[in-house]
Amino acid sequence: MKNEDLVLRGKPVRTKIRNDRSWGEKAFLWLMYACIALFSLVCVVPFWIVLADSFASEASYLKHGYQLIPSEWSLDAYTYLLQGDQLLNSYKNSLFVTIVGTVLAVIITAMFAYVLAHPKVKYRNTLAFLTYLAMVLGGGLVGFYIMVSNWLHLKDSLWALILPYLLNPFYAFILVAFYKSLPYEINEAATIDGAGDIRLFYKIILPISTPVIATVSLFYAIQFWNDWYLSLLFIDDYKLHPLQLMIRQLISNLNVSAYVGGGASYQVSAPSSAIQLATVCLTIGPIVFLYPFLQKYFVKGITIGAVKG
Amino acid sequence: MGFIREITKNRQLYVLAIPGMVFLALFSYIPMFGHLIAFERFQPVKGLFKSKWVGLDNFKFFFGGQDWLRVTFNTVYLNLLFLIFGIGIALILAIMINEASSVILKKISQSLIFLPYFISWLVVSLMMLAFMSSDGLLNQWLQQIGIHEINWYQSTKLWPFILTAVYVWKFSGYFSVIFMAAIVGISSEYYESARIDGATRLQQIIHITIPSIRSVIVVLMLLGVGRIFFGDFGMIYGIIGDNSILFPTTDVIDTYSFRALRQLGNFGMSSAVVLYQSVMGLVTILLFNRLAAKIDPDSKLF
Repeated sequence: MKNEDLVLRGKPVRTKIRNDRSWGEKAFLWLMYACIALFSLVCVVPFWIVLADSFASEASYLKHGYQLIPSEWSLDAYTYLLQGDQLLNSYKNSLFVTIVGTVLAVIITAMFAYVLAHPKVKYRNTLAFLTYLAMVLGGGLVGFYIMVSNWLHLKDSLWALILPYLLNPFYAFILVAFYKSLPYEINEAATIDGAGDIRLFYKIILPISTPVIATVSLFYAIQFWNDWYLSLLFIDDYKLHPLQLMIRQLISNLNVSAYVGGGASYQVSAPSSAIQLATVCLTIGPIVFLYPFLQKYFVKGITIGAVKG
Repeated sequence: MGFIREITKNRQLYVLAIPGMVFLALFSYIPMFGHLIAFERFQPVKGLFKSKWVGLDNFKFFFGGQDWLRVTFNTVYLNLLFLIFGIGIALILAIMINEASSVILKKISQSLIFLPYFISWLVVSLMMLAFMSSDGLLNQWLQQIGIHEINWYQSTKLWPFILTAVYVWKFSGYFSVIFMAAIVGISSEYYESARIDGATRLQQIIHITIPSIRSVIVVLMLLGVGRIFFGDFGMIYGIIGDNSILFPTTDVIDTYSFRALRQLGNFGMSSAVVLYQSVMGLVTILLFNRLAAKIDPDSKLF
């Protein structure tokens, strides 16, 4: 737990001796600073472009193409998007999948991981191996497709976007690592009190694992929010498109106004580039908004995973 | 008997694991039967067991053409590029950020570099359009310095490098978090004694930092090599989509089998491709797990 705190706070690890730096050392240091700054800049510029150009007017696009700072600002893309039903539908779908998916996934994964980590369970290593094997091999595209669409009949159902991701082996192993680090005495104390394993799990284990559970929840939430593979495979109905698929549709669909605008009430032609970017802004908005929080918990989760291998 | 006694004794615990096991079975293990389709002329109406068996026909079709060589090469080549540059650059960044003495610079740069990790490949794909479409920023800049514009989405040869750059952009933050976690774990005593001996920063990096986090580098490399036959579908299909001009350098096994299934409706060949991929994947994982055990016993995966 100590390491990740250090990573987060950005504490200098070693005691610095400042006075005996040679000229070469200094130049080396400044070169490093320049590289870091440049790379950081490259990382954010695309975000800036998406934001700025989503407010560019169609005329500005026709004249100048994409720009670092649009020459003419307008809110057209957003008003256009908000007039139609597609954005609202997609937002609802993405929210439903993310919230329901994350809650179910966390409960199922936490219970499963607890069993994998429990020293009393004789077959825990067999289970862990089966889980690992599933992670590296998977079932193969065709079998998976037939399972979901023909056997479970989940084609054009939002559950097709939720159920397949409810147990992510990688996240399960993060929880296993955490449960294994808990002192065994917790179990013994509760057993003496006569509590069964299920009660023990819900009353004691789950409450003390809130920080790790929070981390894993965020991992899952991002996964559900960003996924478009499952919706590409199983969702054809426009009304059920989540945000990610809406973006894809906007990239490939030439008839943007019919897709986004719904009815034909809006006479002016749709500002298509700006609409794409505005949709992206609204999609990554929640992520950027929650970013400080996300970053903190992700660093924690990745560090646990990295330290335990 | 032992099995039943174990189950009854810990029945409450096994009950907790049931939902997880059900989903593992439903979406990972039962679909493995789908590999049988590789040996059939599958018709969805007839189902898995009543479709006509055709032996190795699907494989003959797949291996008879040039496609399998192309997609296999692309998958391995792109993954190698991603692995080498992705991990290499993240390592350099992590070391540089760690060396920085300004806490503010450290925090800000870490936050910015990690940001791209959180967005989907479709969003990345749209961001790329802003730079690389015909009226995109790259072409505008090229024009300004007097170089002829490039038609990016038709320049097939450039794409392995473009994809590598995008991969580095998206994952450097993630990998450098892993490296930083390992670097802060190094005891500061090593650095102090090196300093007393007059070692420069660069020397300290080469002789202390990198050797100390060697096992983390090895594990990441091995994880990557183990998955070398598995392309990143979300990335490739999100960025390239159905732009067939770029297929010669960007089509990977996963996008190929996806198109066979979803666009051609050829279940049999798609399965044959996936089975081929799974077998290659399994062999590499077993092979490299052994190798891992030899190089560095701690980094053995199972």
